[in-house]
Amino acid sequence: MDIRRRNNVTVTGNPRGPAVVLAHGFGCDQNMWRLTVPALAEDYRVVLFDYVGSGRSDPSAFREDRYASLDGYARDAVEVCEALDLRDAVFVGHSVSAMTGVLAAGMAPERIGALVMVAPSPRYIDDEGYRGGFSAQDIDELLASLEANYLGWSAAMAPVIMGTPDRPELGEELRNSFCATDPDMARVFARTTFLSDSRDDLGKVKVPTLVLECAQDAIAPREVGAFVHRAVPGSELVTLEAVGHCPHLSAPEATNAAITAFLAGLR
Amino acid sequence: MSPLKITTRNAATGPVLEVTGDLDYASAGGLRELLPTLALRPGQRLVVDLAGLEFCDSSGITALIAARNHAHAARADVALAAVPGNTLRILRVVGLDQILPIHPDSETATRS
Amino acid sequence: MCRSGRQPDPHEAGGNDAGNAAFAALLEDSAEELYETAPCGYLSTLMDGTIAKINATLLGWLGLERSAVVGRMRFTDLLTVGGRLYHETHFAPLLRMQGEIGGIALEIRGAEGVRIPVLVSSAVKYGGEGEPLLIRTTVFDARDRRSYEEELLRRKREAEAAREQAEAAREQAETDRVRLQEALATLQQSLLPDVLPDVPGLEAAAHYHTASPERLGGDFYDLFAVDGKRWAFFLGDVCGKGPQAAAVTSLTRYTLRAAALHDPDPVAALSTLNAVLHERYTGGDPRYCTAVFGLLEPDPATGQVAVRIAAGGHPPAVVLRADGRADFLPTPGGLLVGILSDPRFVSASTVLAPGDTLLLYTDGLTEARTGEDRATLYGDQALLGFAAGQAGKPARDVIRALTGLLDDFGDGLDDDTALLALGVPAHPAPDPVTKNAR
Repeated sequence: MDIRRRNNVTVTGNPRGPAVVLAHGFGCDQNMWRLTVPALAEDYRVVLFDYVGSGRSDPSAFREDRYASLDGYARDAVEVCEALDLRDAVFVGHSVSAMTGVLAAGMAPERIGALVMVAPSPRYIDDEGYRGGFSAQDIDELLASLEANYLGWSAAMAPVIMGTPDRPELGEELRNSFCATDPDMARVFARTTFLSDSRDDLGKVKVPTLVLECAQDAIAPREVGAFVHRAVPGSELVTLEAVGHCPHLSAPEATNAAITAFLAGLR
Repeated sequence: MSPLKITTRNAATGPVLEVTGDLDYASAGGLRELLPTLALRPGQRLVVDLAGLEFCDSSGITALIAARNHAHAARADVALAAVPGNTLRILRVVGLDQILPIHPDSETATRS
Repeated sequence: MCRSGRQPDPHEAGGNDAGNAAFAALLEDSAEELYETAPCGYLSTLMDGTIAKINATLLGWLGLERSAVVGRMRFTDLLTVGGRLYHETHFAPLLRMQGEIGGIALEIRGAEGVRIPVLVSSAVKYGGEGEPLLIRTTVFDARDRRSYEEELLRRKREAEAAREQAEAAREQAETDRVRLQEALATLQQSLLPDVLPDVPGLEAAAHYHTASPERLGGDFYDLFAVDGKRWAFFLGDVCGKGPQAAAVTSLTRYTLRAAALHDPDPVAALSTLNAVLHERYTGGDPRYCTAVFGLLEPDPATGQVAVRIAAGGHPPAVVLRADGRADFLPTPGGLLVGILSDPRFVSASTVLAPGDTLLLYTDGLTEARTGEDRATLYGDQALLGFAAGQAGKPARDVIRALTGLLDDFGDGLDDDTALLALGVPAHPAPDPVTKNAR
């Protein structure tokens, strides 16, 4: 199978630089990193990809049983690293992808040499002695929101993968397509993301890790960031003065500065 | 293919069943189910009038045997009337002409 | 319209007055008032979502005072938790990347805990340097539309479920049908011999035509050794079809086999079968069969085979002679097996010389409907004529020719048909093992 095509892999930046893999979270695709790539391109070989079921990945590769657990997404990440024969790459994962990175580093330690966890959360639903910020009912509501926008998409998120043929006006086509996914695949990703519990995996991390949290994040509150920092041995925690769950979009300069400082420290 | 139709009338000798149409695998059950509803007294004769019979297969033959068994169980007689040539030939092949009295028509069959 | 030095037309003047009044009223509807009381919600937020401005319509939906909202709440605070998650994962990134986003379905937390489905559109306002300054958002009440969409979605799910159910049922039915056919084929096979045994000095061939794979046929035949010198065979037709008929067929086959071992006399064997069937199936549901039963006694010295048969209710066997003749071997008056407690069975004998063949068949063959209108029965005489054309040929060739005849009947053959031919080879081969065909 052609992994590069399956995961819509993009390789850019300095071909001789150390590899940095940028992995998107639930909701959108590799375009989320558009403000991050310029900050890394000069010194690093930058690898972007879309998980199967997101962005412009090959929808025919989607298997519900595989992507019903985070392992499936982690295998996507590992297979991308293998396809490019990456060694000691830095895996930058946003949101759920931060946990995917933890799992991938465990699966292929020779491929992944460091982790950057952007707005991570190992578990979204509250548990005894743990506050993830959400109840199971909240997650059901999100799934309902996905359903509601399945029809609402007709205008805002007309999904490119749902039948728009290849057209030359690529710019026009890109509009509104970043977050467009097949609703069934999006539902699987949402369930896998928000119902998983990866707290026990954090302690197994053996590589240098940067935890990037936002000062005000409705999805990953600060106490979750603190939990991750405590659980990952030797990790570094940076709190960005940013609001929302996507600091790489809302506070790109601060985010990039934190990432590049961490990368420089690895050399 | 002609649908089976059975009309019941009473003669001096007992009930007369006028069978018309096809008596086959699909329809023979109709004749057999009718038998227990007949008022047949000892000494009477059940006449099966086959003048209108168009086709009879082995299931039809079974129904005729059932009619005979039913009549004998009621200590009554049985007789066939106006058996068409084809069916008569089959009755002879299977030897039933020896155990089922056969009359040229229902008039002679109902003569006591 | 107003011209000097001329009295204005009263109608024209009146029309003008009315139009001007309406237009004046419109002018009094200031932009400010339109913003506040428009039939949709408006709000403006800082880039971090902090609400800077909000209109009265939206405040009314929320049941909140302006002072509690402006500068104190973010846009996401107005949303349900699920909507907030959706906002963070889809809405906000898209808005950042595109500068605008429209028609996203969310829910806001309205007055007294009521959830209000809304459609939200946002656009970023940029400064002179292209730097984002604030976000302008409109909120439309989508309660009607949402219920319509939910209905659509519900119907779609129902249709999908129904389709899946129908598909599953169809697959199940197909599986069941295949399984049933396999079971029926197996059962049918158990009613017939797998192979015909080798009989010294005799060639045997058989054919079974199944009218319908869904309905078990009631025809049967067999050929088996009685002792070192004699072989028995039988062929017949149980009345009816389906599992009940198959049960009778099975009973018939094993009764005849057992009877023959006890007393191979054909009349005795049929009498035993008659007793069994009559005892078993008496009353309102008579079960009976036609059968011909025979005993073969080859004479190694002459190469001839003596045959004695008895029949009950069965069409007469045909003897094909080496010289091209074909005759019935009549057993007249033999009664159907199983209907009377004291039946009469009739026996007949013949000798098969080299080149002669005895042909047994069930009435599917002679009762086949032929002719353009499928109204004429094939009949005894036609069979006799056809058989004469095959006389002198080996048993397997006779069966092959008759199989071709059955095929030619096409739709006219609507009953099961069993064929069994027992022939004495015209020129005996030296090896007795190889000369017996199956």
